[in-house]
Amino acid sequence: MSALAAADVGQLLQLVPVQRAGIALLVAAVGLPVIGVVIVGLDIMPVRFAMMHVALLGIAVALLTGLDPMLCALVACALAGAGVAPLARTPDGLSGAMGLLMSLAIAAALLVLAVSGVNAAGAFSLLWGSILSVGIADLWLLVVLAVVVPALFWWRRRDIALLLYDRELALASGVRVDRLTLVLLVLVAVSVAGAIKLTGALLVDALTLLPALAARRLGRSLLSITVWAVGIGVVVNLTGFLVALRFDWPPGPVLVLTAGVVVLAVHLVPERRISSWRAPASASLPSSH
Amino acid sequence: MEGLDVRMSGVVCRHGRVEAVRDVDLDIVRGQRVALTGTNGSGKTTLLRAVLGLHRHGAGRILVGGRDTGSATEWAWRRQACAWIPQKPATGRFPLLAGELLASGGARAEAAEAADKLGVGHLADRPLHTLSGGQLQRMYLARAVGCVAAGAGVLLADEPTAALDFSGQEEAADVLLSLPVTVVVVTHDRALAERCDRVLEMAAGRLREVR
Repeated sequence: MSALAAADVGQLLQLVPVQRAGIALLVAAVGLPVIGVVIVGLDIMPVRFAMMHVALLGIAVALLTGLDPMLCALVACALAGAGVAPLARTPDGLSGAMGLLMSLAIAAALLVLAVSGVNAAGAFSLLWGSILSVGIADLWLLVVLAVVVPALFWWRRRDIALLLYDRELALASGVRVDRLTLVLLVLVAVSVAGAIKLTGALLVDALTLLPALAARRLGRSLLSITVWAVGIGVVVNLTGFLVALRFDWPPGPVLVLTAGVVVLAVHLVPERRISSWRAPASASLPSSH
Repeated sequence: MEGLDVRMSGVVCRHGRVEAVRDVDLDIVRGQRVALTGTNGSGKTTLLRAVLGLHRHGAGRILVGGRDTGSATEWAWRRQACAWIPQKPATGRFPLLAGELLASGGARAEAAEAADKLGVGHLADRPLHTLSGGQLQRMYLARAVGCVAAGAGVLLADEPTAALDFSGQEEAADVLLSLPVTVVVVTHDRALAERCDRVLEMAAGRLREVR
């Protein structure tokens, strides 16, 4: 039975869409968990829901005006990310802003859809993707994210570490906090919206947030948390994908459950044991300065 | 004597409708050590934070080294010119290593040396949230030494000895007052206030000269 199943997995891996999905997940595991680190650091967990609704508004506008729906969705998300940046000045500003953004965006989207006479479910379906339907262009977008996001993190690691620790300390240390927050929020908004389109709404959490949540517990500096997040992302994506192929289950839920199990396992491990793992891990990491 | 002068005229700061700082005028010459005392909630911290733009003042002017603020570049200069020790160091939403805090002042080597002198140099690899209140305060003091080495001309210290034991308080005061810069220190520590050139007192947002 297991030999037959293994052969099945081998055969499935010969299929081009499956190969492309595997590569997409591997590439996504490099860029998207880093975005998850920003989401956890800025405490904007509801960002996925907010961006789903903002993207819907963008699609609604596109349907009304005849422009490209996905382009409008990405632009709407980028503008929304930039728009909420000033609210980061207060500690709870961003987290509340995401809720507000979600409500306003869905209301505006429904209004625009009603005015344009388009069915809301039809508009929503444009936003839904699946990892098995990833195209070459989508793959390139993931490659760009996998290069740009970690590169930005490495280049501005001092500033980002200070900002995610304490906004006022970052300000006092000469970090252009407003500009950096704006860049990070736009990057988060576009990445999340893009990832929803590429992989489906459910999978976004497995690719971004969950590796970062596990890494937050394992790492003890921004750099080590980021490295952990990418490492966990790679392991979860490959494991989840192979399990999904093996049992012929949908990849999205399997990947989310795999990532969720990792988060739970990491949180169940006693702090004392984690500390003993960290010592060699942090000793091998390069200094961030 | 090194350092920059600090001039405030008609400074007003509000927390919502409450006027926390009322019409404060203050001239501090370069290199002077000024203790700012007063009861809790009298506006001392708000006044200090206003110098750094962490609390926007509603009215009045604050000049450091004769320079006002307005543009992002001017604010960047101000924040580089003024080293800051916060009253309540943030526990942080995300971990930051003590070594990264020391480096954030702009002169890692000098800050690390100061941390060694203050007995916390060996904790540089630890995340800040694992340090005690006193250790954290020493780290911020060492960072301030680094800021001065990097060119800051003013030190704004907000209760920098509050979490320290008696010998630590004396040690911190020695470091603070030995720096070749203008020092404005908010404190309830009488020994530290005694060692300053001037003592000011704030009450209900207003400032008066004590000594």
